[in-house]
Amino acid sequence: MNERDDIADNDVFATRAKVRFDESVDGLDGDTRSRLNRGRQKALAEVTTGGLRWMQWAPAGGLAAAAVVAVVIFTGNPQFAELAAPEVATDMEILLTEDSLEMIENLEFYSWIDFDAEAIDNDGPVNNVG
Amino acid sequence: MSAYAGSFAVSCVAEDRKGVDTLQREARLNRFFAGVEKRALRIAEISIRNRDDALDLVQDAMIKLARNYAGRPDEEWTPLFYRILQNRIRDWHRRQAVRNRVMVFFGRGNEDDDYDPVAAAPDPAGRTPDEELQTAEAMQGLENAISELPGRQREAFMLRTFEGLDVAGTAKAMGCSEGSVKTHYSRAIHSLRDTLGEHWQ
Repeated sequence: MNERDDIADNDVFATRAKVRFDESVDGLDGDTRSRLNRGRQKALAEVTTGGLRWMQWAPAGGLAAAAVVAVVIFTGNPQFAELAAPEVATDMEILLTEDSLEMIENLEFYSWIDFDAEAIDNDGPVNNVG
Repeated sequence: MSAYAGSFAVSCVAEDRKGVDTLQREARLNRFFAGVEKRALRIAEISIRNRDDALDLVQDAMIKLARNYAGRPDEEWTPLFYRILQNRIRDWHRRQAVRNRVMVFFGRGNEDDDYDPVAAAPDPAGRTPDEELQTAEAMQGLENAISELPGRQREAFMLRTFEGLDVAGTAKAMGCSEGSVKTHYSRAIHSLRDTLGEHWQ
């Protein structure tokens, strides 16, 4: 087979493949067409709302700004500088645990226990007997 | 006062012009997507053998084009869109390879084995059952043969044959030279002819 025949056969094959492919495209069901349409509308919304894209970074920006403020306060205030790093880490760990909210709700109770414990330390053991 | 009113009027006209431009661009983009989306879906589906994931990839590609390249000249949209889609398809294959390795590590087989080509075959449109069967079988044979091709050959064949891109457009979409496109396409078409036989139609 010479090169010209080969190219002609390739073209015939490509034409047949294209016909089969187009038939399969035409045969796409309604549900698939509908989903494509929804995807297209979602994409087109990007053209009109593209100017507001920076809004998606607003929460991250807020968090970063809060972190910067926290660093400035911690490093600039000698009272905070006295806090050792492991203690701060422990505090953060406690704050981030799931039961921290419960602790905050019962803050009055915990402060009462704390006050009671301090009173015992200062006054010596309470004799509850008799 | 009149100078202020004049500058306000100019500003309003400029805003109106911008709004009209956005609407016109949106309309053109809508026509572009409507014209290309079904073929793109089938190309993605043949590449990854999964319609749901293919729909997601096409939608992602449309969103990225609209978001980042809507302002580019219209004639650049087709190669840009297919370049985005092909990148998405390659990423999908990479993720799938990792997923399969993890599944094998945990002793679970490939869950894609339940792919049913008959169920995934497209709905027929106005053909007799014999013609319908012949068409479905022929397309299924072609899809199977295409899925056996190396990735770059598969891309070159589908972009050139199914989407009708010229060599330059295919090179842009694939991110390679025109010479590479010609080589990949030639190898692909010879391989497909060998696999399917001369009587395939």
